Amino acid sequence: MARQKGDVLQGTIDMLVLKALQLEPMHGWGITERIEQWSESVLQLGQGTLYPALYRLERQGLIRSDWRTTENNRRARYYALTAAGRKHFAEELSHWERLSRAINLVLQTRTA
Amino acid sequence: LGDLREFGRRLLNAGRGRDMESGLDEEIRFHIDRQTEKNLKLGMSPSEARRQALVKFGGVERAKENTRDEFRPRVLEDFSRDLRYGVRTLMRAPGFALVSILTLGLGIGAAAAVFSVVHGVLLKPLSFPAPDRVVRVYQVNTYDGQTNQANFAEPNFVDVKAQNRSFSAMAELGGTSKASVTGEFEPNRAAVTPVSREFFDVVQVRPALGRAFAADDQREGATPTAIVSDAYWRRFLGARLDLRNLTLRSGAAVFQVVGVMPPGFDYPQATEIWIPRELEPPQIHRTGHNFSVIARLRDGVTAEQSIADLNRIARGLKQQYGDDTWMTGAIAIPLLEQLTQNARKPLFILLGAAAFLLVIACANVSNLQLVRAGSRRRELSVRLALGAGRWRVTRQLLAESIVLCVSGGLLGILFAYWGVRALLALQPVTVPRLDQVGINWVVVGVAFAISLVAAIALGLATTMRATGRDLRSTMTDGQRTMSGSRTQQRIRDALVVTQVALTLILLTGAGLLTRSFMQVLAVNPGYHTDNGFIIDLAFPDSDDPAAPVRYIRLQDEIMQRLAQVPGVAAVGGVNDFPLGGGWFPNGTFVEMTRPDELKSYDDFRKIRDDKSRLGTANYRVASEGYFRAMGIPLVKGRTFEATDAPDGQHVAVISESLAKTKWPNQDPIGKYIQFGNMDGDLRAFRIVGIVGEVREINVEVPPSPTFYGFYKQRVNAAGRFNIVAHGTDRPEAIATAQRIVRELDPELPVVVRTVSDAFGQSVSGRRFNLILIGVFSIAALVLATMGLYGVISYLVAQRTREIGIRLALGATSTDLGRMVLGHGAMLALVGTVVGLAGAFWLKSIISGLLFGVGMLDPVAIAGVIGLIGAAALTASYLPARRAMRVAPVITLRSE
Repeated sequence: MARQKGDVLQGTIDMLVLKALQLEPMHGWGITERIEQWSESVLQLGQGTLYPALYRLERQGLIRSDWRTTENNRRARYYALTAAGRKHFAEELSHWERLSRAINLVLQTRTA
Repeated sequence: LGDLREFGRRLLNAGRGRDMESGLDEEIRFHIDRQTEKNLKLGMSPSEARRQALVKFGGVERAKENTRDEFRPRVLEDFSRDLRYGVRTLMRAPGFALVSILTLGLGIGAAAAVFSVVHGVLLKPLSFPAPDRVVRVYQVNTYDGQTNQANFAEPNFVDVKAQNRSFSAMAELGGTSKASVTGEFEPNRAAVTPVSREFFDVVQVRPALGRAFAADDQREGATPTAIVSDAYWRRFLGARLDLRNLTLRSGAAVFQVVGVMPPGFDYPQATEIWIPRELEPPQIHRTGHNFSVIARLRDGVTAEQSIADLNRIARGLKQQYGDDTWMTGAIAIPLLEQLTQNARKPLFILLGAAAFLLVIACANVSNLQLVRAGSRRRELSVRLALGAGRWRVTRQLLAESIVLCVSGGLLGILFAYWGVRALLALQPVTVPRLDQVGINWVVVGVAFAISLVAAIALGLATTMRATGRDLRSTMTDGQRTMSGSRTQQRIRDALVVTQVALTLILLTGAGLLTRSFMQVLAVNPGYHTDNGFIIDLAFPDSDDPAAPVRYIRLQDEIMQRLAQVPGVAAVGGVNDFPLGGGWFPNGTFVEMTRPDELKSYDDFRKIRDDKSRLGTANYRVASEGYFRAMGIPLVKGRTFEATDAPDGQHVAVISESLAKTKWPNQDPIGKYIQFGNMDGDLRAFRIVGIVGEVREINVEVPPSPTFYGFYKQRVNAAGRFNIVAHGTDRPEAIATAQRIVRELDPELPVVVRTVSDAFGQSVSGRRFNLILIGVFSIAALVLATMGLYGVISYLVAQRTREIGIRLALGATSTDLGRMVLGHGAMLALVGTVVGLAGAFWLKSIISGLLFGVGMLDPVAIAGVIGLIGAAALTASYLPARRAMRVAPVITLRSE
């Protein structure tokens, strides 16, 4: 399967979701929107992967969810970070930074 | 471990599956709606906006499917899929499955059956409130330098009850006797126990109907009252709710029934009628140890603390009364422990035997699974290589084990149900509380727990051995190299050695018990043990001095008419029949210099200090025909004759051992004896004969010196009388005998049993242990033989190629047969040596159950080793023959 621009690397989606929830609880659509916005529309979450990721993170205790009413008076499931989720995100982030820096170093090495 | 935690989390979530499903629908709908709204704002037409939203979402169903994968139902689905797959796999190997399930069923069934007995007899609490607070109290006597525990003498009980600080209630119980009871219903024999004032406070059980005894019932001269058991009330009193005119008659005494105990309460000794002990005058002697004492501990007081308290009181009483009391201490034992103390050890031994059998069964199944795992290793490796997680494969194997073990467990419960019925049918008199034994939920639960533990153990063991190795080597080696399976072979060998060793221990136990049983049966009890029947009569106590004479006349008439019954060759009677017929009282007699030397108890006391003139003997009264009817030989002199008149010289017959111990090197015949303390009649006896020994209590208890008076002369002792008829035990003869008694006295309940039954009952405890251990060890032998056969067969199958090569290289088939047999023999030998070491340990445990057999009985041990050897040979012979028939060409081509 050819990888298209904007597909999210497997494994990184969890990190992106955690990041999106760092500021405030949000529903699934909101998360998609926020990631699109922050990535300047480069990253588009395939919805087939967002919801599995949300359920997985919740099961792992990194996020929790509850049903709330939106400003337009509709019921929606809101997701929020748990303490464990914050901690996990911090770890993932530092791991990611180390890794991406290393990859960049390799890729940017001049090989005449 | 992470996998397990994950599994647990999924399991926890399983119940929430439906919620999440509907939640997910709503959530996705919301998502698409929001996207549609956004698209509308961007200026799309409504239908276009919706279409684009759906496109962007990218497949609602797929998203749902993927999300669903993240939550629960899958786990259960997976598990049931695993189970289904397990069942299918097993169906493809029906032989393996069947043998495994049967083997496990046998092991679990045996364990569950014995456990149900242990549970009912030893573990189930007594049916009182807070039963662990009730203790049985014994006084500890020191007399003649000997210390022993005994029942209480009443004055001691009264003092201890008044002075103790440990008990909230304390009661004494008279001996339970089988009395003849009549009334407006069928005459019957009921177990009657006199109980003192606080009995119902100690047990804390009140009558379910009517009332307990009132203070006014509990005094001398009160109107006699009685409380009956629920079972007795239903069986004999027609379960009548109105107790007002309900009376029980025992001889002249009429007891008003005032209460009915709740169902199941029959303490002590299956009592059917409780009467106030206080109806009889108090006993004054501190050496008349006639009462069982029970007590309820005060809150916060332990049994140990109460013993200290009791000892303190005993010391005070000893100081106060000196030689008048023998009590120097006391002990308190939890009642359940006291009731079951004799059954405890044999039952735990049986439980151990069942556990051995279970281990042997599991070892067999494990071996079978290993063999299968060997052939499935490639399948499992392929699955691992294709990406199945190790957890996935483990789960699969575990599911198979669970299917096997749970089926085995169900079968085991069925076996246990039959087994327990068969066990109860053996009616071992040595095991109390058998009515509590049954397959109940606790037993089923334990059987299931055993199954699950076995399943997990088997499943994990198999997984570890099947998946623990490097994938590539498994996939490539196939049958070509032997190196990989060497560890496996070693494990299989170890399992078989364990089986042989455990089997040897079981067989040794069974062998020793069998030898003991044969020894017991070979003992000459001193009387006929078959071909006769016994009529057990109990005459009510009566104040009428003419009553005993009337009873004697009735007994005489019964015996005379019984002698006419076809088939009856001899008839006789005795007050206390051997094999569980009575009290077996004994006492101290005095040898007299002339017939009229002692005429009162005072004279008695005067010569009590001259020890050389005293003797101890069992005291019995018998009829003239008794010795012939029982087959007790006359050694010297004569037995009783019709001419020994009630007012003539009273005569006595003594047993050989009494003659030998009391009058060594003398002729006892013609000596005069005073034994009036036994029945209150102070007329002297003249010894006229010596008869053979009798083992009274049961054949395992050596005979003790016995003294027989003539029942027509000693009428006071004849309240209980057993008539024995020798020559037939046919039902018609017994029915005729019952009719004769009913015709002569319609109010006298008749209890008849055959001599064979009475004898059988006296060895029933031994038979029970023997049958159980015997069945277990035979089952163990069969399983171990199967195990050995399996291992050797597998070995031959595995080494077919090697055997082929050896043959091709010039080995003879005899060499190969010897090699295979040698392997089997080696395993059996190692198992035997290990087992013998275990058997030494075993013997110290079962020595108490042995009779007339040494700890190292050569017959038993040689027999057991022979059996094991024969089994090992059989198990190895068939595979060896197969090895000898290997055709080299075929093997070499078989790859």
